[in-house]
Amino acid sequence: MNELLKELYQEIILDHGKEPRNFGECETHNKSAHGHNPLCGDKVSLTLFIDDDDFIKDIKFSGEGCAISVASASLMTEKLKGKKLSYAENMFKDFTDLVKGSEDSLSTIDEDDSLYALKGVKDFPMRVKCATLAWHTFKNALKD
Amino acid sequence: MNKDKTLHKEIRKDFPILSKKILKTKDLVYFDTAASAQKPQVVIDELNQFYKSHYSNVSRGVHTLSVESTLRYEDARKKIQSFINAKSENEIIFTKSATESINLVAQTFYDKYMSTGDEIILSLMEHHSNLIPWYFLRDKYGVVIKFANITDSGEIDVNHFESLITPKTKIAALTHLSNVYGSKIDEKVSSICKRNNVAILLDGCQSAAHLKIDVQKLECDFFVFSGHKTYGPSGIGVLYGKENLLDEMPPYQGGGGMIGEVTTDKVSYAELPAKYEAGTPPIAEAHGLGIAIDYMNNIGIENIINHEEGLTKYAYEKISELDFVKIYGAGDNRNSIISFNIENIHSHEVSSFLDVEGIAVRAGHHCCQPLMKHLGVNSTSRLSFGVYNTIEEVDIFINALIKCKEFFIK
Repeated sequence: MNELLKELYQEIILDHGKEPRNFGECETHNKSAHGHNPLCGDKVSLTLFIDDDDFIKDIKFSGEGCAISVASASLMTEKLKGKKLSYAENMFKDFTDLVKGSEDSLSTIDEDDSLYALKGVKDFPMRVKCATLAWHTFKNALKD
Repeated sequence: MNKDKTLHKEIRKDFPILSKKILKTKDLVYFDTAASAQKPQVVIDELNQFYKSHYSNVSRGVHTLSVESTLRYEDARKKIQSFINAKSENEIIFTKSATESINLVAQTFYDKYMSTGDEIILSLMEHHSNLIPWYFLRDKYGVVIKFANITDSGEIDVNHFESLITPKTKIAALTHLSNVYGSKIDEKVSSICKRNNVAILLDGCQSAAHLKIDVQKLECDFFVFSGHKTYGPSGIGVLYGKENLLDEMPPYQGGGGMIGEVTTDKVSYAELPAKYEAGTPPIAEAHGLGIAIDYMNNIGIENIINHEEGLTKYAYEKISELDFVKIYGAGDNRNSIISFNIENIHSHEVSSFLDVEGIAVRAGHHCCQPLMKHLGVNSTSRLSFGVYNTIEEVDIFINALIKCKEFFIK
């Protein structure tokens, strides 16, 4: 099997693509956003509960899309839960750098990180939008 | 059959891109002609030659280069007139794309023949380019849009279509060949329109390079297609319109080239076709499209049709044998396009997998979101054929599909 494909579809991606974690809507939320990739029709809806100290107490997503976009959203919610917003924003930047192939200045994601599994996307430029859809939706939710 | 095969080897040599290796090792299998066709060497060379030896602006200078450019530009118009059997070259308008052609018709047809409350009929399987220009009219002027149903086999439900017509219906805008189903429009639709005094626009983007086009036999009032899907350059589109309609409708854009006389307080307009060609047109692109049409004519439209019918039938049968694949639409009345999904695998995954095998297919909603909703899917994969594809490539594709399923569904 082709190495690039193996790299793209690591076990963890296929697993999260099939059985996404944190799928649904937060019982109480104070931030939300809808994301949509008009090129392919993938959709994601995100709800968050952020406490007074700027910690992400709860985060859930729903929507439909390819394995990459669903797995990315699922992994993102796992990662962001419990994080402080300022740290989460750094993760946003690191993650978008990672999937575009620049991993020199990552401060919040290392090789042991589950998010690192999405690094293979860099060899499929048309799929970068699939991987970053949830993250951009997260950014938008913060403006909510 | 044998003869066709020899012919085919020669045709593949005409397209330099077909010798490209994907990821350095895989032969390119280009199954995305419905998105855009590849270009034969002769079109590439002629574009080059045009810029090197003949280029200037058209229709305004008297110097040698202007004359040489104008001759080629107008020659392309004549080639297109004959290619689609229009009565007059005045009926051929160059635009930048088929999308612009439809926007032109929507706006100017409304201006001349419609008012608030009038009705337009579209179908559920239209491309966004044949939806949004009409939505603009709905939003701006309050016209009513009705949608004809699609049958399970992927065709317009003719009875339903006819039932939508009222005295307020002014125009129907429909795809000549669906970019998702590959189905050709039922000829009855045009006759129904004619009988009810409803104008009809056919979107020929998918048909122009794959069917014999005769706008008079089709009984359509407008026919649009794009250069890049017919082996020509991008940046050029064609609008055919019946001369009396184009005469009566107002100009679309204002600018150089479309005027008769201009004073500080009024303007008169140029005769057809210049009236609709404001600004410097896509000059080299028009020439390139003319060369692409020569290229198709040299092979023979009938030969192209026969070849693609064979490929489509073969691919349809082979894919139908795979129990994990769902094909959208029926087997007959299918021309060069097959949309499908593998159960439980998103089209993106299918497309990325095939890409690594060297196979280019389209994945997504195909600019047909209302149709995707009707089908109850988010997206599909689509293979589409051109004059250069082969049976062997279909076999490569089928094997790759099987591998793809095994990769994702263990």
